[in-house]
Amino acid sequence: MSDRFQNYSLDSAIYDEMFLPDGQPRDGWQRLQRELTDFSDEELANIQERVTRSFSNEGITFTVYGDDEAEERIIPIDCIPRLLSAAEWDTLAAGLEQRLRALNLFLQDVYGEARLIADGVIPPEVVYECPHYRPEMRGFTPPQGTWVAVCGTDVVRTNDGFRVLEDNLRVPSGVSYMIANRKAAKTSLRRLYRDSRVQEVEHYGRLLREALVELAPSGGANPRIALLTPGVYNSAFYEHMFLAREIDAELVEGRDLLVRDGFVYMRTTGGLERIDVIYRRVDDDFLDPSVFRSDSVLGIPGLIDAYRRGNVALANAPGTGVADDKSVYAYVPDMVRYYLNADPLLQNVETYLCRRPDELEYTLDNLDKLVVKRVGESGGYGMLVGPHASADERAEYAEQVRANPNDFISQPTLALSRSPCLIDGRFEPRHVDLRPFILHGRETRIVPGAFCRVALRRGSLVVNSSQGGGGKDVWVLED
Amino acid sequence: MLARSAQGLYWMGRYLERADHLCRLLRLQTEALVDRPIADIYAGWNRIYASLNRQPPGAGLELLPDGQSTDGAGVLQVMGVPGTAAWQQSGGDDYTLADSFTLADDLTFERSNPDSVWSCFAQGRENARQMRHCISAEMWTSLNLAYLRIQQVSIRDIWNASPESFYATVSADVDTFMGVAAATMYRDEGWRFMRLGRFVERSQLAASLFLAQLELFPTDADASPLDGSESDWIILLRLYHAMAAYNRAYSVAVAPNQVLDLLVTDPLLPDSLCSSVDAAAAELSAIVPGPDRESDDAARRLAGRLSALVHYEWPDAKDHAELLHRVNGYCRQLHNLVTATYFDYHSANLPA
Repeated sequence: MSDRFQNYSLDSAIYDEMFLPDGQPRDGWQRLQRELTDFSDEELANIQERVTRSFSNEGITFTVYGDDEAEERIIPIDCIPRLLSAAEWDTLAAGLEQRLRALNLFLQDVYGEARLIADGVIPPEVVYECPHYRPEMRGFTPPQGTWVAVCGTDVVRTNDGFRVLEDNLRVPSGVSYMIANRKAAKTSLRRLYRDSRVQEVEHYGRLLREALVELAPSGGANPRIALLTPGVYNSAFYEHMFLAREIDAELVEGRDLLVRDGFVYMRTTGGLERIDVIYRRVDDDFLDPSVFRSDSVLGIPGLIDAYRRGNVALANAPGTGVADDKSVYAYVPDMVRYYLNADPLLQNVETYLCRRPDELEYTLDNLDKLVVKRVGESGGYGMLVGPHASADERAEYAEQVRANPNDFISQPTLALSRSPCLIDGRFEPRHVDLRPFILHGRETRIVPGAFCRVALRRGSLVVNSSQGGGGKDVWVLED
Repeated sequence: MLARSAQGLYWMGRYLERADHLCRLLRLQTEALVDRPIADIYAGWNRIYASLNRQPPGAGLELLPDGQSTDGAGVLQVMGVPGTAAWQQSGGDDYTLADSFTLADDLTFERSNPDSVWSCFAQGRENARQMRHCISAEMWTSLNLAYLRIQQVSIRDIWNASPESFYATVSADVDTFMGVAAATMYRDEGWRFMRLGRFVERSQLAASLFLAQLELFPTDADASPLDGSESDWIILLRLYHAMAAYNRAYSVAVAPNQVLDLLVTDPLLPDSLCSSVDAAAAELSAIVPGPDRESDDAARRLAGRLSALVHYEWPDAKDHAELLHRVNGYCRQLHNLVTATYFDYHSANLPA
């Protein structure tokens, strides 16, 4: 290993993306290692500088909400890509596709006949007590039977292989970073990129548009698409704007839309124009105050009625949150077996449901080893990382779990894999995860790549950008 | 296009024009600090504040009694010295005097002043950020880079270096942005609304500035202009890049009425008042009728009247200030009608 890798620590308990346990680079990583070693300190600093500056110049920001004001921040991007071989990717992609197929069938089932419940595969209370279950959607079949058109699955790697940590089936974000990372990597690592033969990801927008067109009610080839954003104050606004441009959609807020006679219209400079497909990036609660939250001023009264009449398509469909609920998650492998009559290609992380007395007891007895999550929360909020918490914090958390066991699940603290990052001119391993995006209209489409989140703080396992996480590009190599 | 997007681009055009206009004024004013008599400088600040319809910070401006010379305490007061008290107590009177440093800061970086260069630029950039999908990537990059540069400096930085070159740079940034827009932006309605906003703003700013000029320096024969009157009018010519055009059209001696005539009616001058109102009318006529037909008709008629006012009434008008007041009022009305026609219309009774 070169000097820059001298202090690169390997730990046999943690999968390293670049190195085998004996310190040799894994297949496919040799070229990267060679190049990284050959760069002078100055070149390497320039590469990192170019990556960072490209984000700042482009204004690729996310918004962080402090006590009283919102701040535009730039996500820290590490310039060293993470590599995946074509074979690794193909396995992963097949598993993701299978999983999404099962999840769409599950949604069609729980809002329809509920065979899965009748057959005792999943207890009814797990589904019906889930806050994201929408009784309003019962008996409805969305266009193409597609409930989830856009899915962003969180995948981690351990010594035992890939594991799905979370299915994000409501309004997953981060795909714009995947593309921005790629653009930055291409301009800063030009030769290495060319020589590495990396599979493209920048056609994501075209695939998304294709998927949305397939859902259009009129069946025409050129439906009018709108991307519904909560507005400029939303932390993912950059992405909404970026995608609207990529898929040639109008970027609308609730106040720009209205429903008349069961059709959805947009206020244009020339009057009202009909909308066929809405790629919505707002939560269910804020879609239609006449159906969901009546106190919401963001929504479009009558939208769900227009949707149910088949006059407009929504992606994703309302009610998909029941399928990415943290308790329901535990049953996804069973869904794959039940609906597809196949073994799951991608495994879950072992999960204990605190609603089950024995698993509650196990959780409370092993708090120092487990990660405990609140069922309704996301973004890394409201969770306890047992090994990193103090005894007082654990005791306090245990009280909350005991009071409302149904609201909690626990999982073993995973040894998330690590990948090299450039830290103060040297390479150091940092924990990473992977969020690939899976599209489904009539058929499934996946671009070979992902947003890779990095816990940039040494030792940290939290990759969320709101909590000190960063990102890096993922290179899926050609065969 | 989406009404809210059109509105965002319209305002982007307005704000960036306002930032540019103020920068051009401030550039000439900070240049004047170096070599003009103090009375000119005093008049210059008054012109800027009057044209913005804004009060200077604190108790206002006062010409120092010993400020007629270009040496001693007067100069210090005029130049403003960073690091000393921005406000100076004047001989025990109960009002304070603002120095040039303070005034420039108020007009350039003051966040609470909605018309400061910083505020206008930040607003224009914020509109662009929200409407990035409607403008070209090159436009966004050029505007965002300029914004990041302005973000990094304070009045102290520019005052210690060269304030006039800072203002020149910001003006050039706006010019670059508009040039990039001309080179790369799709000529859809977004383009039209951006330019409509820009030209409505420019017309209104010109009318306001000329009005302030006439109030400070009346052109009628009886009223004797302040000292150094010629330079007070030359500065207007420089502001509108019209020095050479003036020399060609008239003589080397600068006559106030001829300056105004040129700046209002010369169709070859790119930002003369007549060029601006004509450009606004042209953009409006290129936009398809809005859903509120009544206000749409009214807007188009008004744009025509505005043109007629400048082209046909101006040459024979006895009272130019009165006419400029009308231009100003028409511009405000036009803005309201455009808003009512295209952006804030009532959709209740519209056909789907």
